[in-house]
Amino acid sequence: MSSHLHDVVVIGGGMSGLMASVYLAGKGFKTALISRGDPVCCLSTGCIDVLSSTGSNPLDGFGGLPEGHPYHLVGKKGVEEAYKLFKEVMAEGSIPYVGTIRKNREILTPIGTFKTTCLVPATMAASLGCRDEYVHVISFKGIKDFYPSYITSKLKNTGFSLYDAGASSTLAIAARFEEKGFAEDFAVWLEGLELPPGKVALPAVLGLNNPVAVMEAISLRIGREVFEIPTLPPSIPGFRLFRSLKAALQHRGGDVFWGMPISSVERHGNIVEAVTLATSGRATRVQGRVFILATGSFVSGGLFATRDSVHETVFGIPVHIPGPRKDWFRNDFFNAGHPIEEAGIEVDASFRPIHGNSTNLFVCGSILAHSEIMKYHCGHGLALATGLKAAKMCERMLT
Amino acid sequence: MSFEHCVRCTICVENCPVYKVEPRFPGPKQSGPDAQRFRLDGEKSVDQWVKYCCQCRRCQVACPYGVEVAEIILKAQLKYGAEHISPFTAHLFANAYHLNALGSTFAPLANKAASWNVIKSVLNLLGVSKEPDLPEFRFINLERGRRRKGKGRKVAFFYGCHLSFNRPDIGRKIRDLLVSMGCRVVMPRQTCCGLPALGNGDVDMAKKYAHKNAVTLTSYINRGFDVVYACTSCGLTLMQDYPGVLEAPGGKKIAENTYNVNEYLLSLMQEDNEKVPLGRLERKIAYHIPCHLRALGIGYPAAKIFEQIDGLECFVLDENCCGLAGTYGFKKRNETVSHKLGEIASAQIRDLHVDAMVADCGACRMQLGHFTNLPALDPVEIIMEAIADKTVNKRKSGLGIKHWLRKTP
Amino acid sequence: MSIKTDVIIIGGGATGCGIARDLALRGVHHYLVEKGDFASGATGACHGLLHSGGRYVVNDSVAAHECITENTILRKIAQKCVETTGGLFVRLPGDSKRYRDRFLKGCDEMGISTTVLSPSKALDLVPNLNPAMEEAIVVPDCSIDPFRLCMLNAYTSRHRGGAILTHHEVIEIIKEKGVCVGVKARERLTSQIKEIRARIIINATGAWGDRVARLGGSEVPMTLSKGSLIVSNHRLTNMVINRLRPPSDGDIIVPNEAVCLAGTTSIPIDDPDVLEIDPAEVDIVAGEAEQMIPSFGSTRLIRAYTGVRPLLKASGQDGRSISRGFKIIDHGNGMFSILGGKLTTYRLMAEKMVDVIMERFGLKMKCRTAELPLEGQDELSGYPLSKRLSNMDDIICECELVSRNTVEHAINTMGTHYVGDIQHRTRLGMGPCQGGFCTFRALGITQELGRVSPEVSLKILKEFLQRRFKGIRPALWGDQLREEQLIESIYLGILNMESR
Repeated sequence: MSSHLHDVVVIGGGMSGLMASVYLAGKGFKTALISRGDPVCCLSTGCIDVLSSTGSNPLDGFGGLPEGHPYHLVGKKGVEEAYKLFKEVMAEGSIPYVGTIRKNREILTPIGTFKTTCLVPATMAASLGCRDEYVHVISFKGIKDFYPSYITSKLKNTGFSLYDAGASSTLAIAARFEEKGFAEDFAVWLEGLELPPGKVALPAVLGLNNPVAVMEAISLRIGREVFEIPTLPPSIPGFRLFRSLKAALQHRGGDVFWGMPISSVERHGNIVEAVTLATSGRATRVQGRVFILATGSFVSGGLFATRDSVHETVFGIPVHIPGPRKDWFRNDFFNAGHPIEEAGIEVDASFRPIHGNSTNLFVCGSILAHSEIMKYHCGHGLALATGLKAAKMCERMLT
Repeated sequence: MSFEHCVRCTICVENCPVYKVEPRFPGPKQSGPDAQRFRLDGEKSVDQWVKYCCQCRRCQVACPYGVEVAEIILKAQLKYGAEHISPFTAHLFANAYHLNALGSTFAPLANKAASWNVIKSVLNLLGVSKEPDLPEFRFINLERGRRRKGKGRKVAFFYGCHLSFNRPDIGRKIRDLLVSMGCRVVMPRQTCCGLPALGNGDVDMAKKYAHKNAVTLTSYINRGFDVVYACTSCGLTLMQDYPGVLEAPGGKKIAENTYNVNEYLLSLMQEDNEKVPLGRLERKIAYHIPCHLRALGIGYPAAKIFEQIDGLECFVLDENCCGLAGTYGFKKRNETVSHKLGEIASAQIRDLHVDAMVADCGACRMQLGHFTNLPALDPVEIIMEAIADKTVNKRKSGLGIKHWLRKTP
Repeated sequence: MSIKTDVIIIGGGATGCGIARDLALRGVHHYLVEKGDFASGATGACHGLLHSGGRYVVNDSVAAHECITENTILRKIAQKCVETTGGLFVRLPGDSKRYRDRFLKGCDEMGISTTVLSPSKALDLVPNLNPAMEEAIVVPDCSIDPFRLCMLNAYTSRHRGGAILTHHEVIEIIKEKGVCVGVKARERLTSQIKEIRARIIINATGAWGDRVARLGGSEVPMTLSKGSLIVSNHRLTNMVINRLRPPSDGDIIVPNEAVCLAGTTSIPIDDPDVLEIDPAEVDIVAGEAEQMIPSFGSTRLIRAYTGVRPLLKASGQDGRSISRGFKIIDHGNGMFSILGGKLTTYRLMAEKMVDVIMERFGLKMKCRTAELPLEGQDELSGYPLSKRLSNMDDIICECELVSRNTVEHAINTMGTHYVGDIQHRTRLGMGPCQGGFCTFRALGITQELGRVSPEVSLKILKEFLQRRFKGIRPALWGDQLREEQLIESIYLGILNMESR
């Protein structure tokens, strides 16, 4: 068996796992990040929802959250620290994030509604305030998941133009934006439209690697602010977010083990010693002094539901289940806040599972019980905050 | 039935290098789990578009649910190939081993001939792309020359076609490095691992190679040898396809006893740090992770070794496929895709202003070396340069290691 | 403003559409009025099984005979609707041998071809079968697409002087001097009311038979029983699988397009509009299906659906054992009700009904629906399924391989903006994601083609998501639960469609 020794082993490469591992690797700990595949933040808008269900200041809403909500374990200060670190990390790469932790802001969605969020990538910064301005929507010939008339029929002051990018999927168009001269040609065409003063909005396709630079170059040429609209999956802003965080981890010397599920866990008493990856032929053993479980909810594969139960897929930690299957979902699809959202792992103030029996295992992210992410719209914010807090608990244990 | 787990999240699509530059390829989700529901037993394949998949396996690595996307597509490719007449290039490249051996036998004349326009044009008419240069052939390949060296821990080195026929110098460096670390290295008689044949639809030929190698390797394993590979595509084939689709006898045992050379070096270093005296090396390198190394899931062991070299600034790049993908990029129909992907991957390297690029895979080295114009090295070459630092002469790393060898008891 | 015609058919299921076609071929002008889309009742919620009749040979020989006759006819005339899968009756340990003997005898008498197979031969045909089976008997069961069937019957009607009004609910039957002379129908979306007058009104509304009859002052005592089915993600069998025992819950599995349908249950209900699937029904059906195909117990289910059996009331019998034979009732006031029967015998039912009408009108034309192939089949994709993989250009529904051309064609030829209409005609959204991705696209296209405003389009999308959820909710565990969280994150997250 091949063996790897680390200080910290983080299981789950999503927002909370990435945050925890970036922090710990940055502090000089030998950090391993194990992930069965890419995380679901690759499909998200790329924005950070802290607590969108409340009004203007997301932190004000903490008081209204039910007692068991994981935000209470982090506290407002914890959220602020996470936000600060996240912004710093993203600023290292090519996609800085904008926004302030104390103020929610809006972004325009593909159907002309507005979504409340808190931190947005710089490519969506100009979405703020577009309700009251002229917005010219650009779409691309053949694109299947973007229909500008939803937006132009909803906003007061809009226009629309279609560009032939020679490709019809968001990924292919984004690849074109990275080819020499393409962005330039596009900007020239835009300039030729002689748009009225206002903003230009387009689906999020301004390339994978340097979208801010592309956006600014276009913006400069046409003298108008440009912003991206997040699309249905495949979501480029979501993918960029993931790649930036992963790169930040790798820059800090973190090791990544990608693509294989965990086949077994080694324990010694109440200490987890190692996990084994189901690599072909010979398992790969990853040893650590502390372990962080950040495998996410059902959609991420951290929790799995059978016809009558729910279990946690790596360590088998007992899962809090909100009743029998017939009560998991209400009748109304749009009633976000289906009871099943409460399912997950319950942890104490040190982020160790209450019903577990390991002293060096910590849990963070959307696998935590009572997160109710769709109800409160707090997904990424909660992930970052609990990820950082759990990481700090590990740091304490390691030093 | 892993396609049952697919929830259509499109994460595989986000990772597919071909999808973003080839409009004729419907993407891994469609080619894999979506189409699988329509591929019924006993019916002739009509999905000719599966040929655009370059089998980089990034889709499978990225899937959070364990859908074996690349494997599903591979099986569809094989079925289609078995039911239809394959193009000339498929036959040509399935026989890559024999072509390589031929080229080696007639080197250096073969090298000259390969660059003749008339030959290139004829090949182009037959479907071979003019763009990637054929690798140079070497007469003194690894089949010739010393087959046994060193004392100690028993290692059977599966060196693969590229190292044997094109870069035997790297092959010998690896052998010598292992020897210097207290290994008894044997270069067993071997044929191609079988991947070019498999990738070009000739399962029978691939199985033939696999069976032959399996017999040889198993006999070494039974005598207490560890098998070590350097080329990550050979490695993937040995670890996954031998026990899997190629059904090599003893395939499971082979996979259990086969190691990536850097993984092996790392474990030797973990046992005894003195074994690999890494000195200082002031270089700035871009380490391009081959897609197949990612697919192995063992992490990036060479990067762990690089971390221990003082003065070495190493950028680990694992986001892009180089685009050559074995024999894929040599085909005219894939020319544009291969070129575009090469551009994308090399742009990232160029932006870093490094003095060399490093990759475990010969195809990645050829492609990215060509696009970036930088020296393209195997990780072992960097390691040996770092070791050589501890000796007098820094410039010729080959000399360095020999010099060091003389010093050890 | 009143529309005048000769015959009004209320109900656009298989029976109603079959009557429309038959009338059209016999040159009688008619209107078909249906409150939803085609096949929105039992027709669209059944197994999609073209019976060989084997299921009825022991207990209902008349039905069995009808089945085999119609089976042979439909295979000929409705080739693009019928997949000739063949069927197996599987006898498991414990199943009555006596029943089996009566089965074989009955099939023989009715002219239903049978071949007895040993377990190993049966496993060659269907590898997923329970290897512990005693034997399997091959019969000429087929899989049939009920939507296509209705649609093609309606096609003939439209092209030969009939008129089809879907999404129109009959709210009143107009009577003059005690005679039914017409109907008032309200269009669902616009609430506009149309008045149509005719000489004869046919009530072919299945489970709503009594309700509609009462509009005309008559009654049809019915027994309503609900039957639920589950849909698997992929084809576990390429042949219809039946249980060789007296008919009971969950003993049929039918391959249909790229999925399998398994069912059914039989639970008495009162109101055909209030249909809920109890998660326990899903467990029952999956449990029974598992006996015949073991992997059914653990396979991924993409949804469950339920329909109502429209059976004529007979006291003291449960919904299953009441004869499936149909009945034509002359209410004596210009209205007829035709009820009962099954999908397999729809054409025969229609023939009998139209024979009565012809007699009433004093016309002599004979029925030709058994000889003439259904018109309009050329444009439809056929079987085998794997052929559809040849062209991947501009696919809108990636699960079911529906191209943009197909969707636009459906929208343009039908002039519709109802998502359900597009789905039924193209199979868009019938795959594993249940329209989670493609419906957004289809509605976007409908909007681009100018059929509907963006605002209404979003309203339809919301309605669709709600309906879709209803079908999925009883089977939400495992992979399907993962899928659902993903869909939620898209519509409630990215698009922010919450009903606030």
